[in-house]
Amino acid sequence: MTPSWRQEASVALSLFVTALIGWLIFHHLFAWLFAATFVYLGWHVFNLYRLDAWIRRGRQLMTPASLGVWGELFNGFYRMRRRDRERKRRIALLLREFRNSTSAMPDGVVLLDSLWEIIWFNDAAERLLGLRPGQDLQRRIGNLIRHPDFVGYLRHGVFEEPVDIPAPAAPGVRVSLRIVSYGSDQRLLIARDVTRLHRLEEMRRDFVANASHELRSPLTVIGGYLDAMRADSRLEHDWGVPLAEMEHQMQRMLAIIKDLLELSRLETEAREAPFAPVDVPALLQRVQRDALALGRGPRDVVVDVKDPIWVLGSESELFSAFSNLVFNAMRYTPDSGRVSLRWWVDEDGARLSVTDTGVGIAPEHLPRLTERFYRVDRSRNRDSGGTGLGLAIVKHVLQRHDADLEVESEPGKGSVFTCHFPMERVAREARTA
Amino acid sequence: MADKLNLTHHISQKFNEELEDVRNRVLAMGGLVEQQIVDALKALTEGDSSLGRAIEQHDYKVNQMEISIDEECSRILARRQPAASDLRLILAIIKTITDLERIGDEAEKIGRFAARLAEQERPTSNYREIEHLGNHVRSMLHDALDAFARLDAEAAFRVAKEDERVDGEYDALSRQSITFMMEDPRTIRRVLDVMWSARALERIGDHAKNICEYTIYLVRGKDVRHTGFEAMEREVLDRR
Repeated sequence: MTPSWRQEASVALSLFVTALIGWLIFHHLFAWLFAATFVYLGWHVFNLYRLDAWIRRGRQLMTPASLGVWGELFNGFYRMRRRDRERKRRIALLLREFRNSTSAMPDGVVLLDSLWEIIWFNDAAERLLGLRPGQDLQRRIGNLIRHPDFVGYLRHGVFEEPVDIPAPAAPGVRVSLRIVSYGSDQRLLIARDVTRLHRLEEMRRDFVANASHELRSPLTVIGGYLDAMRADSRLEHDWGVPLAEMEHQMQRMLAIIKDLLELSRLETEAREAPFAPVDVPALLQRVQRDALALGRGPRDVVVDVKDPIWVLGSESELFSAFSNLVFNAMRYTPDSGRVSLRWWVDEDGARLSVTDTGVGIAPEHLPRLTERFYRVDRSRNRDSGGTGLGLAIVKHVLQRHDADLEVESEPGKGSVFTCHFPMERVAREARTA
Repeated sequence: MADKLNLTHHISQKFNEELEDVRNRVLAMGGLVEQQIVDALKALTEGDSSLGRAIEQHDYKVNQMEISIDEECSRILARRQPAASDLRLILAIIKTITDLERIGDEAEKIGRFAARLAEQERPTSNYREIEHLGNHVRSMLHDALDAFARLDAEAAFRVAKEDERVDGEYDALSRQSITFMMEDPRTIRRVLDVMWSARALERIGDHAKNICEYTIYLVRGKDVRHTGFEAMEREVLDRR
């Protein structure tokens, strides 16, 4: 028995003994017992009342003092409340620290729930994205950030890469938005100010475009003189070989410049290719003809059109992308090999595959294949006359058509390049566009 | 707000989702149209003829969205038979998408003029006035769509009032154009194209104002079209 219960028992016992003494002296046993019970009960009710009043007041930490079990109970309540207060204070402190640190963060942070509704955001998000505290909670993020690229990003549901858009609220600022999933169905939207980066990127683009453009005219002049000198029979004996080599190198430079200009045009034009109907089967026939006209590489180039479907896009860009793929295949395939083009449609969209039986590419090179001037083998690209920009052009063209490029390859066996166009870019016939 | 819209409390969770979804699509369409205006202005001020022509091809996306949202609205009307604020939402959406589609058409028009202007000599002002007007109209549409997204009648009223200033700017621009044409008749062709572009921008401002009026109708339940700004202001501010 704990001391408090012992005390309680002694209180009850002493009341009972008092009642017994009263009975012995003054008789009336029941009256005395009743009085003792009444006093005992009254004391309990009084303590209950005090407890209730204390809970009701709420803010007071000190509990009333009492005897017996009640004293113990009051002590227990006092300790509980003190512990709670301490814990609450610590949590509030932690929360304040957290809020302060996220508010101070230069990047905008928005917490989103499973329905893309806003739960919370920090000051930077308010500034960069134009969200309003209080008013914008529980609103869908897509309703407030309506840039088509971001809406498409949300709909697409693949958040590996961020998406860059002009800031909705701050003119002249560009933000890079990125969604990160966490917990069960919760998302974090992180907005970063990339204005400076964007400007640098623009400068780089302009520089490449201008430099290539400026380089082209002097080269053309040199080319003209080279032609004249090669036609001169007096120079043939001493200078024939060097002149031919110069001519060859100049053609290569012109090809590189042409590709650079094409790339910078693809980068600066609108983000999306137009939606004009393009007769892909006819385009593939043209590519085949051009490939055979190269005069080198395998003679076995086949076009296999499974479905005579069209694509909505830009004809000149698609032609450039497809011919780059095919010319690449021609370049790396021995004369006895074979290059085959397949065009078909499935439930995900349309696909073009270019299969060759050439030298193939080792797996470690595959991820970097579409980088500019990336060479799998330092020596071989130059002999074969490639510019090193072909696949970069292919990648850009496909991006502008919402399409992807897949590459499968095995060294020594050959490679398969597959372009995959989504359904919204596919047209059954010319009229549907 | 006294009569807070009950958009989030529905017996049918599904119905609620449908309404939110169609609202979301309207705003996505708005974003697309906004981008069209930005592109059109860029084509105009930077003399980018290929961008100007590209807008034309994008317009079909906006039209496609209008049709699909329209279909969705009639489906909701037929199947759910909405009442009160839900009905007002559907009605406001049906009207809003019509205006958005017209804004898209105007942007397409500007793109066409821009492509034509790019082939001519640029004036010394470099189209600064029309750029200013264009930015004004663009931010008006942006704020109108924000007000619609936030169901904020007061913001909608503020945006609707902006239309007066846009009209004023348009008047100034047309007076200036007349002076140019009188000074040098050789510029008439170019100045006329600029005028038509300014006219298209002014029309976009009117459509943005209409969208604001639908928002006020949606939130307050009162039709404020053709009532003048004083009546509109009373309607918006009285029942705060």
